[in-house]
Amino acid sequence: MSPKTNTDLLGRPLTADERELLDLYGRLRTLSARTDLPPVATANVKQAMVLLWNACNDLALMYEEPGCD
Amino acid sequence: MSATESPYWNPKTETLPKDQLRALQLVKLQRLVARAYEQSPFHRRLYDKACVRPEQVKTLDDIRRLPFMTREDWMANQAEKPLFGDLITRPESDAIRYHLTSGTSGRQPLRVLDGRKDWSWITDMWCYGFWGFGIRPTDKVFFAFSYGSFIGFWGAHYCTEKLGCLTLASGNMTTEQRVKQIVEMGVTVVCATPTYALRMGQTAEKMGIDLRKDGKVRRVIVSGEPAGSIPAVKKMIEEMWGGKCGDTAGMTEIGTIMIFECDHQPGGPHIIEDHFIEEVLDPDTGNPVPYGERGERVVTSFGRGFIPLIRYRTKDLVCKVPHTRCTCGRTGDVYEGGILGRVDDMKLIRGTNVYPRAVEAVVREHHEVEEFQIVITRVDNVQDEITVKVELKPDQQDCWPRLHAQLGKDLADAHEGLRFNVELCKQGELPRFELKAKRLQDLRPQY
Repeated sequence: MSPKTNTDLLGRPLTADERELLDLYGRLRTLSARTDLPPVATANVKQAMVLLWNACNDLALMYEEPGCD
Repeated sequence: MSATESPYWNPKTETLPKDQLRALQLVKLQRLVARAYEQSPFHRRLYDKACVRPEQVKTLDDIRRLPFMTREDWMANQAEKPLFGDLITRPESDAIRYHLTSGTSGRQPLRVLDGRKDWSWITDMWCYGFWGFGIRPTDKVFFAFSYGSFIGFWGAHYCTEKLGCLTLASGNMTTEQRVKQIVEMGVTVVCATPTYALRMGQTAEKMGIDLRKDGKVRRVIVSGEPAGSIPAVKKMIEEMWGGKCGDTAGMTEIGTIMIFECDHQPGGPHIIEDHFIEEVLDPDTGNPVPYGERGERVVTSFGRGFIPLIRYRTKDLVCKVPHTRCTCGRTGDVYEGGILGRVDDMKLIRGTNVYPRAVEAVVREHHEVEEFQIVITRVDNVQDEITVKVELKPDQQDCWPRLHAQLGKDLADAHEGLRFNVELCKQGELPRFELKAKRLQDLRPQY
């Protein structure tokens, strides 16, 4: 998932804060998919990614399936 | 406005105009149904049998094309394909949590799994409720909960950690130890079932502790029993604790709460409509009932990845009223009076419908009562009898003759004149409960 879209699920333009949240989520998601990081990084990045997923979904910035972590 | 000044956990979606809320629900529903069809063999079979395809969900009304999901089907699926059935969409190895239903109904508990995102979402739904009822990072929150395999307040515990509250777990404590710690630590929020909140209050009295003076509790958050929305029960809890009592309700099948009372307390909890579709249907016909009429809750949940829950028949009895009932600004509709009982809780006694929650509402109007139990028997294989057994508070024994007559009258008045037997029990004779109370004993022969 990358923040390519300019609107949320309701078709509203994304605010600068919303764009930043989505961008951060996208970066964490990419990072959490890596397999070459030490466990301390992988596990904590995953936790952080999940929390950002929550915020982005709740704010209707995206609706990404909960299963794909 | 700083974050802690917001009355809403999620101002954007909690106050969405209704048309936009419906549009959001439709987007989520379409994706949920497509995912369930793709990843859950259980759902694919269900939809194929009903000759319905995900792409046929074009409007929110199309939800009615989708077949219901029942607990019986789910249980049968788990029995047929142990342990979890083929309802789940992910391999077991992706799960981080395992829980069971409470088994209150006496049936085989359901087993559920959750992944990381599921669990985070579960926690977040509790945040909607706790934040909405005024809980803030400065609070000290005490969970009177056993922390076992029943999901109970588990998600709420993680919620208060997420909020930044000081979170106190009390898994293996006795009631006396809990009361002591609540006072000693200056706890400001207590979470329990309504029954157990009352029991802790009664225990405090026996310990010589006045929670209103000696404690600092400003909120009691209850869950797990319909009694949480009975005004008389709330009043008792508030008088004991000195703080406002707010109701929440959830279920293991969705893993979290779907309704909560906001700080305005309009007479019932709001539905978290950006994460759930809550239909209220006639339990016999399956047709929707209008606002203000009682019906069965049928829930669709958007947040759980492992378990797609679509049109799940809960058997909970509710009465939905528009969100305008409340002035808090949320656009989620309200369940007037909370969960009113269970569709299958109704007992037919000599032609009259009796709901345990309605009996409790009458009994709790009498502050002299400490505990009670409802017993239904059949005399000579013909006549059904209903008896309310009552245990009085230690200092209220003298009121029995008056209370006996009044309670019998009040119960009859609330039930089309049905005669209730009312019996006095000795102090400590009736069972006490920590989780969900089981106050109804139906001793009639089951055929």
